[in-house]
Amino acid sequence: MAILEREEWYDLTRTTNWTTKFVTEEEFYPDEMSGHRGIPAEAWETYDEPYKVTYAEYVATQREKDAGVYSVKAALERDAFVDRADPGWVSTMIAHYGAIALAEYAASIAEAKMARFAKAPGNRNMAVFGMMDENRHGQIQLFYPHANVKRNRQWDWAHKAYHTNEWAAIAARSLFDDIMMTRDAVATSIMLTFAFETGFTNMQFLGLAADAAETGDHTFASLISSIQTDESRHAQQGAPSLKILIANGKKEEAQNLIDTAIWRAWKLFTALTGPILDYYTPLESRKESFKEFMLEWIVAQFERQLLDLGLDKPWYWDQFISDLDETHHGMHLGIWFWRPTVWWDPAAGVTPNEREWLEEKYPGWNNTWGECWDVIVDNLQNGKPELTGPETLPTICNMCQLPIVGTPGQGWNVKDHQLEHNGRLYHFGSEVDMKIFQMDPERYQNHMSFIDRFLAGEIQPMDLGGGLKYMGLSPGEMGDDAHGYSWLEAYSTKKSDDAA
Amino acid sequence: MALFPIHSNFERDFVIQLVPVDTDDTMDQVAEKCAYHSINRRVKEQPSKTLRVRHHENGTIFPRDMKVSEAGLRPTETLDILFMEN
Repeated sequence: MAILEREEWYDLTRTTNWTTKFVTEEEFYPDEMSGHRGIPAEAWETYDEPYKVTYAEYVATQREKDAGVYSVKAALERDAFVDRADPGWVSTMIAHYGAIALAEYAASIAEAKMARFAKAPGNRNMAVFGMMDENRHGQIQLFYPHANVKRNRQWDWAHKAYHTNEWAAIAARSLFDDIMMTRDAVATSIMLTFAFETGFTNMQFLGLAADAAETGDHTFASLISSIQTDESRHAQQGAPSLKILIANGKKEEAQNLIDTAIWRAWKLFTALTGPILDYYTPLESRKESFKEFMLEWIVAQFERQLLDLGLDKPWYWDQFISDLDETHHGMHLGIWFWRPTVWWDPAAGVTPNEREWLEEKYPGWNNTWGECWDVIVDNLQNGKPELTGPETLPTICNMCQLPIVGTPGQGWNVKDHQLEHNGRLYHFGSEVDMKIFQMDPERYQNHMSFIDRFLAGEIQPMDLGGGLKYMGLSPGEMGDDAHGYSWLEAYSTKKSDDAA
Repeated sequence: MALFPIHSNFERDFVIQLVPVDTDDTMDQVAEKCAYHSINRRVKEQPSKTLRVRHHENGTIFPRDMKVSEAGLRPTETLDILFMEN
């Protein structure tokens, strides 16, 4: 029997659809799972994914990719890069694995939902590959840090973080639950793949890969570059869904899904990627600032893609652009100040040279965040470390689940957006966070932020010790300054240089 | 007399913080309790200035001797703490 050429069968198989006999089409594809929104099956059959691959091709390519990254790992294992890497970079890896590994595994379930319930056959086909991609990403990003558990228990948080009530883990779960675990297949294809993966995984995986290569961490660079090749393929599931929604009169709904997902992803990245790129990565290894990466990989890309699809820029775009200069500096300062509450050791990243770089990239930094750091540096230099740690909790946003921050010092603009809803007072870190809540209050109203849990008496005793216990952080896991405060020496040197 | 949680938005600080106060506290005492978590931690002292408490949303400056119980505040409401001339 002759084997058919690929082009003779591929289009037929990728558009093959089910004709149900024992159940109705609605029972087979319930709207709450498929998200067909009343759009007929024929319309969904026009779904045209831009990247087409057969199972055999997929397996062959993935095998090559795995062989590549695992061989780099094996070859460099004896090199023990981790033992000589800058502590700021080690923190970067520990933070990354904890925040990402299990989210990848959860993404595999989200892809499985599209593989089963998407009404578009092409989407189901592509999501099968996406499901296997994410399974690979979950496994490989657990395997790599596992090799370092012998060095430090914080590495174990690659597996542990999402199983705890650590505040950053709550924030990450809140985002991923919202955009991929609790949405229908169509919304998942838009919020997870179009909004989150197209732009934001570029930031985490390409931005970080660039810095990793500069740092000399070729194992991590090859790992996350390899992951990104999968992401850039399966991220293409959202755009064809958007085209179908727009063509069938659902533009406004599509726009809302995008607006919500982009904002929520942005907020999480201000706490995760912003500090890493602008503070943890050693100065000499920084390729670009967080803002520069954002402008290149997110802003330019989304603006082009949204307009190409006939969609609009999110309504908050001006606010978003202006926040590129601000929010992540506050998140970083908060994470460093509340450092016992995270599973990695945050690098302060504020030596005089680093501050010069920050001032150059973010004019005005020294008169704003720099003022807060001045007080911290004074306290550390004058033997008052107890004043550089927390004695209470930061106010947490009821949408992004992150601290409510703003610009301090001479540009002070911190604002809490408060909303009373059904007798409960909610707090939001921005107008956008509040609007997202107001668009669908039933979806979000019952979630308890870390502060809500604290005030409800769920955290006992009601002090820092009780909070750390609630978060699952034990001694040896809770964060401290990545460099053991050795960066202060640069201030003493500067003082003597200035005096001379 | 009862514990009353408020959120402190302290002038020149970068973050809002949870601060437990008492319904019998005056606004000066509220300002002092909030200052404990900001001044000399991330905000420089301004000895010549007085700390005053302001309603976060409508901008009303509360009288210094007004008690929390008299201010019509909702539990967990955010208050601005400002450096002022008096």
